[in-house]
Amino acid sequence: MTDPIHPRAKRSPRLVAIGGGKGGVGKTFLSSNLATTLAAAGYRVVVVDTDIEGANLHTWLGVRSPSVSLADFVAGREDDPAKLAVETPVSGLRLIAATHGNLAGAQPDDARRLELLKALRRLPCDFVLVDCGAGAHPATIDYFLVGDDGLLVLHPEPTSVENTYAFVRAAFYRRMQAAMQKHDVRQRILEAMDQRNQRGIRTPLDLLREVQAMDPEEGTRFVATMRAFRPRIVVNEVASAEDIKLGFSVRSVCRKFFGIEAEYVGYINRDQAVRDAVLLRRPLLDVRPHSDAAVYLRRIAGKLTEKVGRPGGRG
Amino acid sequence: MSEAVEAAMKPLSEMSHYEVLEIAPEAAAEEVERAYQLALATYGEDSLATYSVYDDGEVELVRERIELAYQVLADADRRGAYDREVGSLAPVTAAVEIALQLAGEEEEETRLAPDAVVPEIEAFEDVEEEAGRFDGGRLRRARLRRGIGIERIAKVTKVNSRYLRCIEEERFDELPAAVYVRGFVTAYARCIGLDPTRVTSGYMERVAAARPEARPGRLRQRRRR
Repeated sequence: MTDPIHPRAKRSPRLVAIGGGKGGVGKTFLSSNLATTLAAAGYRVVVVDTDIEGANLHTWLGVRSPSVSLADFVAGREDDPAKLAVETPVSGLRLIAATHGNLAGAQPDDARRLELLKALRRLPCDFVLVDCGAGAHPATIDYFLVGDDGLLVLHPEPTSVENTYAFVRAAFYRRMQAAMQKHDVRQRILEAMDQRNQRGIRTPLDLLREVQAMDPEEGTRFVATMRAFRPRIVVNEVASAEDIKLGFSVRSVCRKFFGIEAEYVGYINRDQAVRDAVLLRRPLLDVRPHSDAAVYLRRIAGKLTEKVGRPGGRG
Repeated sequence: MSEAVEAAMKPLSEMSHYEVLEIAPEAAAEEVERAYQLALATYGEDSLATYSVYDDGEVELVRERIELAYQVLADADRRGAYDREVGSLAPVTAAVEIALQLAGEEEEETRLAPDAVVPEIEAFEDVEEEAGRFDGGRLRRARLRRGIGIERIAKVTKVNSRYLRCIEEERFDELPAAVYVRGFVTAYARCIGLDPTRVTSGYMERVAAARPEARPGRLRQRRRR
């Protein structure tokens, strides 16, 4: 049986999801600027705003009013997600915006969302970057899980770190629910999602033991899925060496407490250049290409391209 | 990486000392020390990284486990005995013993002890470290990840902090003659643990390009006058 979350097609783009729970930590900043960084390196990129209630990715990219958006797909006005992508001022970069949403029914239902996610894999490009928006709602988590790379953006502050762990936990359980095949095992995962569950399951490791005891075959599947679940940490707005170290600490806690192997892929400093770029509604790379933040962004982009190869070699 | 993934799926009670400190069995003494310092910061009181997941009792258990791992792995004899006991193929070599001795030696006076985690953070710098030439931004970034403030560098090097900022921000017009700038940059580099020769060669080219009057030839002419 194929896994519904990662159906692999030949020559499909690499999907990078950018999430992390808390609002205001820089998910949209990272999405838009990683997208421009990758496009500047010669990759064909589509960046997707999924935040229909609070869309503003288009503004970060200097697209004033996109003619079509994800909302048209949700409302059934456009059925082909490929036709939602509009050009941006950046060569090689297209945008699927989330403007003009119907606030009465902003998010697509599960079936429609799955359709969208499958369509993103068929887009003719090298990278699809998905800005997941804030919170740990199942829709947000699904956008995160669809990624080959799931970037977790956090700020060096307690509330952000707390929300990051909550997001990791929610994403992990939802991923496991999709991967398990037996009804009773799925039910057990559902129980475990309640943090005050009667069985005392607190962490993915506890859950693994339960699943192994219930059904060894599902246990094996659980371990395989757990191995593949590798969130990638980005610490945004660092101002000190302590802040930089936080990424390693969060990685350690993911490993020791949750049993999840995360990877620390980089950090970005608190930089006036970023604010300047936002005020001008232009990508940082355009406005301040030699700023420290731009250097750090290029490093993170470098990590993402390691697995893709040179531009033009795909698609 | 698969070793790390396997380790991640074990509860703390089943982890080896190496897994607790998140290092490989062949890790050198300084890696043990570095990993221990990071673990202390991560699982210490008031740690930003742990407070929302562990309760006090749990984090105390993690700390005890880290202490135990460190006590064994930082002691060459105990580490050797432990390796033999668990059948690890990582004998404590002469190199490890030498590294242990070196770790006890005092730092050079003009050099600040870089942050314990710096070498791991350096992994983010691969491309830049190997290929690029040093400019002001790169010096600033190296300083940030070492956790060293401008004022500390000023104190150690006796170079005015205003000049140090000008060096980082490449405000070449506000800096004195090239010969002094070279001295400042050398002191700055040494202070944060960079190779001064590598740093100055790239940096001084930038100074010369931006400020033709700062070329050595022009300086000599001025002196003759």
